[in-house]
Amino acid sequence: MTIAEEALALPSPEPRQVVKRRRTPRRATSLQSHGEPFVWFTGGAMGLALLMIVSLLGLIAYEGAQTFWPRPLVELTRVGAKPILGEISTTETFRPGADVYERLPPDRAASVQKEIEARGGDERRRMLRTGNFDLTGTHYTWVSDHEVQDETNPEWAVTVERMAWGRFYGEPKSFLVGDEVIAHGARDAWTRYLEFHDTCRARAEKIVDLQEHDIGAVNDQMEAVRLGLRRIELSKGKSSPEYAAAEKVSAQRQAELEREFQDISEKVSQLQQTNARYKLLLTTADGVTSTLPVADIVRAYRANQLDLGGKLRVYFSRWREFLTERPREANSEGGVFPAIFGTVVMTLLMSILVVPFGVLAALYLREYAKQGWMVSLVRIAVNNLAGVPSIVFGVFGLGFFCYIVGASIDQLLFAEKLPNPTYGKGGLVWAAFTLALLTLPVVIVATEEALSAVPGSMREGSYACGATKWQTIQRIVLPRALPGIMTGMILAIARGAGEVAPLMLVGAVKLAPSLPVDLNGSLPFVHLHPERSFMHLGFHIFDLGFQSQNSEAAKPMVYTTTLLLIAIIVGLNLFAISVRSRLRRRFVGGQF
Amino acid sequence: MLISIGGVGTIVAVTGIFVFLVWVVVPLFQSASHELRSQASVATGSMSQSDRGAAPLWTGIDEYRRLGVALEPDGKIVTWRASDGKPIESRALFTTPALTSISTHEASGEMAFGFADGSVRLGSIDFATSFVDPSAAGLSASELAVDGGSIQGTTLLELTNEGQLRAQTLDVRLLPPLDVGLSGRVVALDRSEKNGSTTIAAIDEHGKLVVSAIARSENLLTGEVTATTDDQVIPLRPRENMLPERLLLSGNADTLYLVWHDGILQRYDVRDPAQSGLAEELDLVEGPGELTALTFLIGKSTLVSGDSRGRVRAWFGTKPANADTRDGIRLQLAHELCAAGAPITTLSASERTRVVCAGTQDGKLLTYHVTSHKLLFETVVGNEPIRAVALAPKDNGLVALTADPVAPLGWRFFSWDIDLGYPEATLAALFTPVWYEGYEAPVNAWQSTGSDSFEPKLGLWPLVFGTIKATFYSMIFGVPIALLAAIFTSEFMDKRLRTPLKSLTEMMASLPSVVLGFIAAIIIAPIVQSVLPTVLAVFFTIPMALLIGAYLWQLLPPRKYVRWSGAPRFAAICTCLPIGVLLAALVGPWFERAFFAGDIMGWLNGRVGTSVGGWLLLLLPVSALICAVFLSRVVDPWVRRISATWDRGRAGRFDLGKIAVGIVAAFVLALVLAHGLDATGADPRGGVLDTYVQRNALIVGFVMAFAIIPIVYTLAEDALSSVPGHLRLASLGAGATPWQTAARVVVPTAMSGLFSAVMIGLGRAVGETMIVLMATGNTPVMSWNVFNGFRTLSANIAVELPEAVRNSTHYRTLFLAAFCLFALTFVLNTLAEVVRQRFRKRAYQL
Repeated sequence: MTIAEEALALPSPEPRQVVKRRRTPRRATSLQSHGEPFVWFTGGAMGLALLMIVSLLGLIAYEGAQTFWPRPLVELTRVGAKPILGEISTTETFRPGADVYERLPPDRAASVQKEIEARGGDERRRMLRTGNFDLTGTHYTWVSDHEVQDETNPEWAVTVERMAWGRFYGEPKSFLVGDEVIAHGARDAWTRYLEFHDTCRARAEKIVDLQEHDIGAVNDQMEAVRLGLRRIELSKGKSSPEYAAAEKVSAQRQAELEREFQDISEKVSQLQQTNARYKLLLTTADGVTSTLPVADIVRAYRANQLDLGGKLRVYFSRWREFLTERPREANSEGGVFPAIFGTVVMTLLMSILVVPFGVLAALYLREYAKQGWMVSLVRIAVNNLAGVPSIVFGVFGLGFFCYIVGASIDQLLFAEKLPNPTYGKGGLVWAAFTLALLTLPVVIVATEEALSAVPGSMREGSYACGATKWQTIQRIVLPRALPGIMTGMILAIARGAGEVAPLMLVGAVKLAPSLPVDLNGSLPFVHLHPERSFMHLGFHIFDLGFQSQNSEAAKPMVYTTTLLLIAIIVGLNLFAISVRSRLRRRFVGGQF
Repeated sequence: MLISIGGVGTIVAVTGIFVFLVWVVVPLFQSASHELRSQASVATGSMSQSDRGAAPLWTGIDEYRRLGVALEPDGKIVTWRASDGKPIESRALFTTPALTSISTHEASGEMAFGFADGSVRLGSIDFATSFVDPSAAGLSASELAVDGGSIQGTTLLELTNEGQLRAQTLDVRLLPPLDVGLSGRVVALDRSEKNGSTTIAAIDEHGKLVVSAIARSENLLTGEVTATTDDQVIPLRPRENMLPERLLLSGNADTLYLVWHDGILQRYDVRDPAQSGLAEELDLVEGPGELTALTFLIGKSTLVSGDSRGRVRAWFGTKPANADTRDGIRLQLAHELCAAGAPITTLSASERTRVVCAGTQDGKLLTYHVTSHKLLFETVVGNEPIRAVALAPKDNGLVALTADPVAPLGWRFFSWDIDLGYPEATLAALFTPVWYEGYEAPVNAWQSTGSDSFEPKLGLWPLVFGTIKATFYSMIFGVPIALLAAIFTSEFMDKRLRTPLKSLTEMMASLPSVVLGFIAAIIIAPIVQSVLPTVLAVFFTIPMALLIGAYLWQLLPPRKYVRWSGAPRFAAICTCLPIGVLLAALVGPWFERAFFAGDIMGWLNGRVGTSVGGWLLLLLPVSALICAVFLSRVVDPWVRRISATWDRGRAGRFDLGKIAVGIVAAFVLALVLAHGLDATGADPRGGVLDTYVQRNALIVGFVMAFAIIPIVYTLAEDALSSVPGHLRLASLGAGATPWQTAARVVVPTAMSGLFSAVMIGLGRAVGETMIVLMATGNTPVMSWNVFNGFRTLSANIAVELPEAVRNSTHYRTLFLAAFCLFALTFVLNTLAEVVRQRFRKRAYQL
């Protein structure tokens, strides 16, 4: 029974009633005194808050999850226009205005208008994702129902995801190897495509591998040689004998690398030539034939012939691509692996920075500093720092870390690269520092709370056994405070992973050319490049949703990225809660 | 020990942020500095006793500030070493015909000269600088180690810090004389460079005024440059045989100013020289006295005048609606820089900023930033009048010439090192209206990108306003929901539901704001735009649905009423929400047809409909409040009296009827008031309701609520549930209902805790970046219109700081914005913290 029920169960004399008893006869209940409408308003507010959060999460989960589901292809034959083929992406009803009818041919306008008005004046229109951007210059087309003459789901309609130009919708026509047509007709061409696709993709991946890793390594070495020479020039001067010697050596080395570069380029162009021989010809709905090199096709499927298993295969293959591949098409297609990687590495670096310092500060405040007005002032300051807008930390990070600390490092260690900044600009390490500062109060506050929750009796017991202060802290206090510290850390990570505003200033970029960790060369030697700018899931959302050229085409990607980010953050939060409760349970028995 | 170092270090780092921000911001407000570098006598040689220390036609200094140069009135040019005044070169540029006028308003030494025979010449006076290898110069070390540079012929040589030898020499280039159709002595002339073409305006002693466009073509074989002129005679309105003293041509050669000695200015519109004419005439001096100095500011559209009454004033053309001039422009006095003192003798404007330097008759130098009115520095040179001043090309030095008391046939030359600092930034310029060039009146504006002819506007007030607007609209939406929800959770909610629902609400806090911004901009904004009437109706239908639901709930038999007061009641409340939304979807379109002429967007634009609909919208909450007060103060006591003997069911039914009447009454009252206000002609459009923009304050208010509700809710709930249980029990035991207990015991006790929760929420709303960045149009406009965008301090920093040049005024101003945010949130949070600690102490004592 809640308190409310208890109260109602009692015969409740109403206080104001007591005062006025002389004038009004006594009554069992007074409706006004229950304040039912007010209670309903408070409950309505609660319900609204819950409704908001649930519908938001539900929307993101639904949109994010259904983006990758393969949809059937519809071919619409239109009156007075070419037929189009595509996926239906949005359906809405609208009330056609006079301008709609004016655009129709005069003989049809009257009949269409009559027809629509007979239906109550509302008309349905659908947005088709028609793809074929290289041919039509648009990704989407609106079609109103009155334009549609016939609607079919062609058996051989194929959805093709390409490396460039977005999706292609059409029917296979023939298959070419070199100039020779080896298959005619949709069925044969499709069989041939399935036969050759894997090997062509493997070659394409090999090309990418060669271009990125091998040529990248050669370029890195060339740059290193050039910088070495520049370093000698800076330290010894251009006219010194050391410089002359180094110049000779580096010229020799450059030539070697140049040869190596030529070799790899040769290999690449051979592979490219082989790949260029395999081509799939497709016909679009309006009869245009387009030639697609098989190697450029990421994925193709017969959209109207997929069974559930096939659909699931396409669905999961898209998720795999999303999680493990790089973005293409100005981030609106492909994967977000670099962003996931950037987020994870940055967050890890941040927690490595923030946890020791936060715990030290909390230990100092709680265990070492003399408790007085000074400490409580500092405590208020630290507490309030948690409320300082994150953008302010970004401003500080840019002004202090990048422009002052970074620029000094550049002058001391990377003088040969100047005026191009190495550390004197936004980068992973500065982002981690900035976010560490941002999340520091979270860790300090959580740790302090955990420390203060350790009963004094335990400390006293430890002292009584002859332990020193440090021993007490190390063996008694810290282990007991661990759940709190862990919670603080995880909350800090969750906050850090979701924060975007400061990252815009200190190094998150739209598209990073390379990961901040280099796997070039032999595997055990991993090069960390903490000065590089990086991609971040949150910034990715901002960039796609807000700055994308083609925001409609980028929308599905934003939903999935959002879903991913929320999943990570909610997951971390839930993990924090479970860790806290588990550790708490473990220590419950330790109560003195 | 280690711990102490680590702990103290961390805390120092935290305060470091504050210190660093201040450290970056402070230079903005530091005053300009100046220091005398050298002074020397400069012999001219050509002057006679009678024109002792006469003003030179022009003076200047090179960018390294090693060489001084002056053009004497008779057309002779002299250069000297800046450190000691030793002459380097002295030659006559023009002998016959005699030089009669000169134009020096173009930057980098581009000039025009007018002669006694009516011809004009274009030319430039500049310094040629080259760097040579010291060994190649063939000079000994002692010859080079001369302070201020070694004079070799007409060249000044100096060793630089990089070990190179810098050679500087005067570089005069003159083009052949041009005939622009003048026959007499050229009284005044000016030239203007626009997109590589040159325009000259000149007037001769017969009062013939000519504007001439000059086309230059280069012969490919000989490399000879020939100039052709296209002359247009401008009809002049003569003034009683007085010839104008000065002629100025604006930067895009579309306006020509003729100025007489007594301060009369005639402005000619020469956009099309063939059809040009007088646009307006006005007096720059206004009263006794005469005009003694006149110059253009950078961009050549603001005139700065100095007169014999010691005033320095800036004028520029504005386009007021009531301008009756032929080009719609009116010259306006915008800035009065110094009002009293000795007559102004000379003025010099900077080539880089809107800084002007004035010299006076009694030897004083005053340097001002025109737009901000800031007096940068003031220095007294001596008793002799200042003859000429010039700012160094990089604004890092200032030179002045006065008559020389020692050597009567020369000048006294002074050179200062100056650092202008950040002249355009003053507290007043950042936070109060500033009169920018071309504006009709002082305005608050933020427009950080600018050019020579278009000054950047760094008024922080529009951004502060945007921040306040965002905070206001999100607080009025978020705070009531959060506080009411907290009261419900702690006082009325089923205990089993409390924990899961509370943590669900708290989960909102962990939603990244970039996600909220994306949802707001991409999903909510288009939806709201398409169903705006429904959205507006929701604000009324949901409370109405809840109200009716509550009164229906009262009809339950007492036993069920008590038993269902936990989860079932909450379920019933929750079903009211979709009902309210449905109701809104039904009512909204009807409302739009009835009051907004069926087109609310058009109505908001002010195109259609009367103002009744808008007033109704605004007055409904007011009239609802009036009715509620009336019901509770007047009707309820009466009901209580008459219903004393009724049973519960009858009282409930009566109450339901009462509230139905109340709702109708509120609506009717609002309608009557709206018609009354409409009849008076008042219109809410232009105030809080105006043209609809897709990303607006309504959207931000709604989505920002996602960010502030969880924080306020959690803190408020903590405060409410830390009210000691015995207070509640005592109240209930004394016979109060749960609502009375909540409203009269729990909430007043927790009031300070609730206050601090709201403060923390306020702090979060003030600093929120991503939501406002994505869900507003980021236009720095100042209007309270709820359907309009804005730009906040935080979003502005995020947008502009990556592009700001390090240590520029813009950069430091953005740091100032960050500092404002920091300070504001810090104060709010500290206030909240102090209040909360006091509350806690009190709660323990209870």
